[in-house]
Amino acid sequence: MARIYVIDDDEQLLRMVGLMLDRGGHATTLINDPVEGLEQIKQNKPDLLVLDVMMPDMSGHDIARQIRAQKGLESLPILILTARSQEVDRATALKSGADDYLSKPVTSQELIERVDNLLHKRENRTRPEQGILIVMFGMRGGVGQTTLAVNLASALRRLSQEEVCLVDLSPSGGQAAMHLRLQARTTWADLPTASELDWSVFKEKLTIHPSGLRLLAAPSVPQSATEPAPELVEAFLPLLQGQMTFTVVDMPRVFSPTFTAVLEAADIALHVLAADVVSVQTAVQVDRLLSKTGISFRQKSYVLNHIQPEAELPQTTVERGLNARVASKINFDPNQSRALAQGVPLTLTSAKSPLPTMMNRMAEVIWQRVVNAAAKK
Amino acid sequence: MGSTHFGRNQLISVDLFTDAYRVTGRVLVGTGGIHAELANPNSDFLELQDAYVSRIHQPGEIISHYKVAAFRKDNINFIVLQDRREGIPVGTQHGRSVFTRGRSLSVFLTVPSFEVAGEIMHDGKIAPREILVQSIGRFLLVFSAKASASLYPEISYSGDLILIHKERIGIFCLGT
Repeated sequence: MARIYVIDDDEQLLRMVGLMLDRGGHATTLINDPVEGLEQIKQNKPDLLVLDVMMPDMSGHDIARQIRAQKGLESLPILILTARSQEVDRATALKSGADDYLSKPVTSQELIERVDNLLHKRENRTRPEQGILIVMFGMRGGVGQTTLAVNLASALRRLSQEEVCLVDLSPSGGQAAMHLRLQARTTWADLPTASELDWSVFKEKLTIHPSGLRLLAAPSVPQSATEPAPELVEAFLPLLQGQMTFTVVDMPRVFSPTFTAVLEAADIALHVLAADVVSVQTAVQVDRLLSKTGISFRQKSYVLNHIQPEAELPQTTVERGLNARVASKINFDPNQSRALAQGVPLTLTSAKSPLPTMMNRMAEVIWQRVVNAAAKK
Repeated sequence: MGSTHFGRNQLISVDLFTDAYRVTGRVLVGTGGIHAELANPNSDFLELQDAYVSRIHQPGEIISHYKVAAFRKDNINFIVLQDRREGIPVGTQHGRSVFTRGRSLSVFLTVPSFEVAGEIMHDGKIAPREILVQSIGRFLLVFSAKASASLYPEISYSGDLILIHKERIGIFCLGT
């Protein structure tokens, strides 16, 4: 199911197109004002846009051009649907940035076919054969690991418009849903056993955020520290990697077989710590433990998150303690407490404060890997 | 913007061409289709709703939009329709009506800035003068037609029916 926006000033046609797309299994947002529609698209970044040309105040061509000039929307599939049905109109539509063109009147079958075709093309354009698994971990609580995982997943979704899933593996009451102001009706505790698990079952357990980000939530009631079982995680992670371009896992602070199983599978492991003595000591201990278990990381980096206005330790001291470089440093962000209260991750807002700036940069680096790999194919 | 019915009247979508402009909009027509509106002797004007204006040399680009626009019929070169049923009276599209009886003849004609090729239906002596004089109304019906810009042949407009203002015709050629 894709999130499709339809912009047409003719309300009767708008409803008709909405009905056709609904029947095609898509979630539609119908907008009859082109200026308002453009703003909504910039904010919410849908999966596809169906656009009329002849509209007062702003033509469909103008909207398409503005979308193409907007960072993060360059690859949004646009289908022009217009009563101007001449060859020159088709050429103008494609030149303005539309991906496809249909003239009115249109049949339901024709519209669904074109929409599905565009969505399929988009998926094939950038999605790697196997999605990228990013794991955020650390044994010291209160260092903002969940905040970073939620913001990274949101930033990846906003930037790439690809399928992104955030997995909250906490056994002690999930926080990710709260960060996103979601009420998760299902969690990983509702998953069947590993042998019964397939994508059709698994996807029903995911909660979808309005941004399009998917969430496998943790139960709100504390669970046994050993859950979810490593066999279950080993069963659903490949499913996610097969369907999602990015999976971000917020790891529990419990050193368990599940913990090591997820780290083994990670493409990118991000060890989150704060700039205090206890955090650095804990990180060193975790590293020792991990090297004893013989886990070989594909890519592991340290992320230093300043959770207080004044850092207890400077970065150089932290690096000396770790005997390694810190890859990313996130300065204290006073906006974060408000974002948490509002249930809107900062990377989904236009805030330019330290946390979203850094997380967006991180997302860009990861997304670029996918784009470059797709270009080489 | 398809056709919308209001009792016996309906709003139909048209592409209308003057010497320098293409205007897309909707015309309210009765059971006689747009041909009857153009032939109405009580009005020298044709009114378009939701008019989107483009220049002839950039016909895909909309330069302005108006809720209503009026055109002096004498200044309209041709009108493109995607469905012939919207052009001629209801019930005359088939059989031996005055609009459809006779032989199908291929035509080539010119109006300012455009050349038009298509088919006409004619019952009687096959001669250009006969056809232009005998056909009903101010506009000639050319079916399955294509209008190409004379100076920009890559710019063309196709329609199930194109209505050509007879007084704007420069060259009129008949085939078989």
